[in-house]
Amino acid sequence: MGSVSARRLAKELREIQSEGCPVGITLVDASDFSKWLFTIEVMGNSQYQGEAYTLQFRFDAQYPISSPAVQFVVTDGKEAPVHPHVYSNGHICASILGSEWSPVLSVIAVCVTLQSMLASCKKKERPADNDRYVRTAPDNPKKTLFHYDDDT
Amino acid sequence: MGNSSSSSGRGHHDDTVDYGSLVPQGVYTGPRDWNQPVVSQLIVARRLAPFYRPLEDYDDSWDDDQILAARKELPDPDSADTVTRIEATAMASSSSKSKRPGSLKEPVKPEAQVYRGAVECPICFLYYPPNINHSRCCDQAICTECFVQIKRNEPTATHLVSEYAACPYCVQENFGVVYTPPPWRAGLGSDGANGIWSEQREPAAVPTHKRRQKSFGADSPEVVTTDQIRPDWEAKLEAVRAAVARRANRRIIMRQVGDRLIPVGITSGRVHTLSPEEAAAAGAAVEGSSGRRGRRRGQQNGAFDQYVGMSGQDLEELMLMEAMRLSLLDHEEYQRKEAEEKKKREAAEAAAAAGEGSDRAPAVPAEAECTDHSAPGPGPSTLEARATLHPSSSSNLSTPPSSHSRSPSPAAQRHNKVDSQDSLSPGRKSWSFSRSRTPPPPPNPVPNLPLSEDNQAAWRNRSAGPPAFSTLSAALTSTSTAAAVLGTAERGSSRSVTPEPVPASSTTSSSTSAAPPAAAGAQNTADVPIPTITVVNNDPRNGGRATPGGVAQPASSQSSEDSADSSLSSPPLPPLPTELARWAAPGSSEASGALVTSSGSGEQSGQTGYGQFPSSPESSPELVDLHEHLLAHSDSGSSTKVDDDGRAGAATYVPEMTR
Repeated sequence: MGSVSARRLAKELREIQSEGCPVGITLVDASDFSKWLFTIEVMGNSQYQGEAYTLQFRFDAQYPISSPAVQFVVTDGKEAPVHPHVYSNGHICASILGSEWSPVLSVIAVCVTLQSMLASCKKKERPADNDRYVRTAPDNPKKTLFHYDDDT
Repeated sequence: MGNSSSSSGRGHHDDTVDYGSLVPQGVYTGPRDWNQPVVSQLIVARRLAPFYRPLEDYDDSWDDDQILAARKELPDPDSADTVTRIEATAMASSSSKSKRPGSLKEPVKPEAQVYRGAVECPICFLYYPPNINHSRCCDQAICTECFVQIKRNEPTATHLVSEYAACPYCVQENFGVVYTPPPWRAGLGSDGANGIWSEQREPAAVPTHKRRQKSFGADSPEVVTTDQIRPDWEAKLEAVRAAVARRANRRIIMRQVGDRLIPVGITSGRVHTLSPEEAAAAGAAVEGSSGRRGRRRGQQNGAFDQYVGMSGQDLEELMLMEAMRLSLLDHEEYQRKEAEEKKKREAAEAAAAAGEGSDRAPAVPAEAECTDHSAPGPGPSTLEARATLHPSSSSNLSTPPSSHSRSPSPAAQRHNKVDSQDSLSPGRKSWSFSRSRTPPPPPNPVPNLPLSEDNQAAWRNRSAGPPAFSTLSAALTSTSTAAAVLGTAERGSSRSVTPEPVPASSTTSSSTSAAPPAAAGAQNTADVPIPTITVVNNDPRNGGRATPGGVAQPASSQSSEDSADSSLSSPPLPPLPTELARWAAPGSSEASGALVTSSGSGEQSGQTGYGQFPSSPESSPELVDLHEHLLAHSDSGSSTKVDDDGRAGAATYVPEMTR
């Protein structure tokens, strides 16, 4: 048995496979315990109706104590949703991915949270500092020290 | 019956508590940065659940053997010693059991029985005996393996507070757990426990956790908080604070050349508290401190990892210095181009360079012009002077300075090394002062090494009153960034023992300096002291001569001329500080922040005699913005705020031109 990360992810995966993902969320790839891909669709009436986005999770060995690195995929023709907390490089400014991560959260919980983040969006726009951030952003969004705006 | 198992248990009496361990069972592989003795004590005191070997899975219908088989296999080399002993315990007891095939009513195996009614830890998803810790606030189960992983966020330079670890379940701060031990005892702290142990009592002994009605306060005696098992959090916080304070006291030494600010070095934060008295004392102590440096410089061509081994502070300085070196290279390139332009133009004008020089700085005698050759003249004059210098002039330059400055020659690059050498000549402090700041050698400075050795020797033998910047120059010339760091190590003190510049430069630049930190405080980086950029007025005489009245005109004419001359597409004020930021950024956002931000610390600059980076009040918001930007996006080098720095540079340029 590997690290707690692999073990826990194995269990999360088992759960996903046995119980299925919540509506609008689809597991695309979980072939190893370092990177998983999901697609996210916002159900019902929203700014993102009929749009599907690909969400990538990267895990380190300290997961779940340390948060997964979560971002939207922006390669292979995929794009990040236009959202005030989503940068055009796919990075997401969401506190649960940073300072408010809790080891009790799971991959599916993150998916659901981000889904509802999109669902609650009133106006499709990029973050104000998008260009500046994207130009200099690190590859791993976890290396960014986001300043979280509370607009919930 | 029970004897065999209890005897085997007794054999390892010292290692287990209630069939669990005092040490982690390898669920987590990261560093064990909690205080293990404290944890062990708490386990023995039954205030924290022991580290049980977790079950991968659990089913109530399992028999003892199935339970034991489901236990997570034991890890890892690093915990091998204890682990092996525990394994031995288990094996001994199970083997002794298996020797007695006996009846169907085979005695229960206590080490399996403890898992009856196992509870899944919601964090690691493993199963543990039901006597598991529960969060003090919301009564959620958490195994000890996971509990010891939860800690305060490490304070960082941008987040200078240490907040309580929050409960992973309900996010209440100051996370703590409460443990209800089983009604029986085994192992450590179980005096006579073996006698008490009975198979009949065992099933009854399985505690069922009853939902609490109330939560415990963090200071309740039953509660074990994350801080209790990491009592060093305060020390860590203090360490980071101290480091930040040091950093904040570090100054970037900028020099004006023409219309720009050239960063020439940084002060070490360690020398930050020089009061005037101390500065005087430092003058006397220069030998001592240079002795220290001499030692370090002696090693400067040694392996790089020597310096990597130094404290983080030094490493940062090292990176800063490298950034500066590269920036200086850039600047030199710019100057060279400019010089070429100028040369062409001047050749066309047929007028002697001398004529132009005097036009430009009429009040300055020839020597003075040479002394701070680069100030009145734009880049070219510096380079020209260097170009004429002969490598052998390292001893002392007797060549009339005026001749240097007046014989334009753009081919400056290859003579760079001279600078550091002539800067070493003790008798010519002001010379070396300005000279040493001429850009460092071409990208691969290795060929200059021999010279740098000369430099070292010269440096070691130099008399008091160190030419501050020659150190830097020597270091830069001598190829290694490590050397550069060494060179800077004591610049702060060495500079401050040079008395002349004090009144001059503080007057010249104080008019243009401002203190943005207050504004910075409004940002989310509020707690971060902002390093100061100090502008050095290299030449006391010139500095003293600076008169506010005469400032404006030469300055503007000069800068416009420069921009016209340079025929560069870039704005007249090249983004040197920004270059720095870009270079410094990969290694340290702090560093880059330090380079491009400024803060007013009049006290400091007054003491050391260097004016500050003259960020005018109007420009401070941008600077703050920049600072925030740098801090917020740690990997970023800023290219956005060039103009601000450029403007600031222009502002400083003004006093310089008055002479």
